[in-house]
Amino acid sequence: MRIVVLQLLILALFLLVVPAIVGSLFAFREKGGQGLIFRWVSGQFLLWAGFQAICVPLILRQQSFRWLVRLFLGYTAAMVLLAGALWMFRRKKARALPPQVPEGQARKARERGPGALLWLVFWGLLLFQLVQAVRLVYEDSDDAYYVAVASIAESSDTMFRVLPYTGGQTMLDARHGLAPFSVWMAFLARVSGMRPVLLAQTVLPVALIAMAYGIYYLFSVQLFPEKGGQQPLFLIFAEILVLFGNYSVYTTEVFLIGRSRQGKASLGSIVFPFVLLISLMLLKKLQEREKIPVGYYLLLAAAAAAGCLCSTMGAMLTCIMVGIVGLLTAVFYRKWKVMLLLAACCTPCILYGLLYLILE
Amino acid sequence: MWSDVMELFRNYMGTGMIVIWYLISLIYLWINEKRMHVRILFLYVPIALLLVYFNPLSVKLVHGVVGSDIYWRILWLLPVSATIAYVCVCVYGQLARGGKKLRADLAALCMVGAIAVSGGFMYSSPRFSRAENLYHMPEAVIHICNVIQVPGREVMAAFPLELTPYVRQYSPTTCMPYGREMVMKSWGHDNALCDAMEREVIDMEELVPLARQAGCHYVIFPTGQEVTASPESYGWIPFQETDGYVIYRDPEVELVIPANLTRRP
Repeated sequence: MRIVVLQLLILALFLLVVPAIVGSLFAFREKGGQGLIFRWVSGQFLLWAGFQAICVPLILRQQSFRWLVRLFLGYTAAMVLLAGALWMFRRKKARALPPQVPEGQARKARERGPGALLWLVFWGLLLFQLVQAVRLVYEDSDDAYYVAVASIAESSDTMFRVLPYTGGQTMLDARHGLAPFSVWMAFLARVSGMRPVLLAQTVLPVALIAMAYGIYYLFSVQLFPEKGGQQPLFLIFAEILVLFGNYSVYTTEVFLIGRSRQGKASLGSIVFPFVLLISLMLLKKLQEREKIPVGYYLLLAAAAAAGCLCSTMGAMLTCIMVGIVGLLTAVFYRKWKVMLLLAACCTPCILYGLLYLILE
Repeated sequence: MWSDVMELFRNYMGTGMIVIWYLISLIYLWINEKRMHVRILFLYVPIALLLVYFNPLSVKLVHGVVGSDIYWRILWLLPVSATIAYVCVCVYGQLARGGKKLRADLAALCMVGAIAVSGGFMYSSPRFSRAENLYHMPEAVIHICNVIQVPGREVMAAFPLELTPYVRQYSPTTCMPYGREMVMKSWGHDNALCDAMEREVIDMEELVPLARQAGCHYVIFPTGQEVTASPESYGWIPFQETDGYVIYRDPEVELVIPANLTRRP
């Protein structure tokens, strides 16, 4: 029992605390850009992007999983140190400025009243979904691939060189090797000591479903910046739409609730909404004729790389999305430079797309 | 190809009721939304995405390359839930203006009801069931794998087809002569050993040489499986019975590492 608690604490560190620290690299000055949820989600995207950049070359060079674990731990530590240094620098700078009302206090002040009840309903519905993710099984035989790949990597110290369905060595599976989301699960299993199947089926869905709602929350902050009661209402409607999203087996809602441990599910329910969110923040800046921080573009590029990590299809779909946003930006705001910068954000997708075509 | 794309769209939209709410939401945004950045993201981007999805050029290029198994995922880019939720809150806000909060609350309840009736409740899907354990797999798989595993090496075991998708999720050192690919009938895989294992009455004369040829250290039968002859008469030893399955050990297949298998570090 003590071991399980320790494993859960390590996972909480790698899935919640570390991303929240790393995400402070993107702490923007405006509303919704400084909150803990934004830091958590954006930090996870930066970590995913780094994982993709480290993992794919190692897979293609048929290096051992052990090497990946060491290198990615090094990358994570470097990101945490960088975030810490930046925090110290900002703190020094902030001391020189007049004190501001912290966002948390301002929010609490807004929430007193009818908003508090709505927040209670939201948390209740979220808790219900998280409990169901642990309590219920969603029958899907694709797990035989994705979870087995994680189990094999963790156990055999190789990546994509053992047949997942039957065992036995095989040639490198380059198609799936370019989207190693399962290997990220194996990494978490290795550092926590938890069995990959337990991590994938029980722990990870809780974290990923919570993250998907974290992105919905960030949408609500952007869409209803001043209206405290409307944010939880938006979230409740989003929850109802997810809970009743089983109108076909193909929806992102079904993938989020039933198959979140599969990379493609995270692509549809976490990466694409996050790309939309950053696009919304970017367009808002353009609308208000403000300067767009470089961090927005970096985050978009990180999201593009994370899309490639989740699924090989992610490369193309993220390009389509960012391309459309870029074109519409150029048409409506006459900002051709922004369109070019958005196109540059798709560089990871283009690189992995080309690799896919070469390897196939 | 075009009919394929239409079929995929229809399948994705299911009953179509949520799509109707989505279209109504888009019309609402078209008429009422004043903020340009919100209009672009929730209105113009989805329209452009649908134009891409139904565009004959992208159908030819993208669908031609990735096929129908993946083409429908372009529809994942449509922010259906976020848009409907946003419009619901906007409508609520409009109705609540002027202190008519009760009217707005009732409308919100009606909207929740409309969404619930139009969609399908997630947990009523027949694919959901109560987990037997935290591994989210049949207890039988866990017990069988624990019984047959040998520390430091791999073992080969033939399982009944219904257990194959779970085995290597739990125990990557348990190898199988056939796996999940045989469950997916549409993939068109063929395996003589699997066919022999799945017969209503297992013909031991057919099964034993195939299992030995595949190097199976263990063969697992459901308890009460009808067989043409006793497995013991072929030298198989009943190893253990657990969770409705009998594990047989074939001593003729030595527990040495076959050349084509990897060794656990």
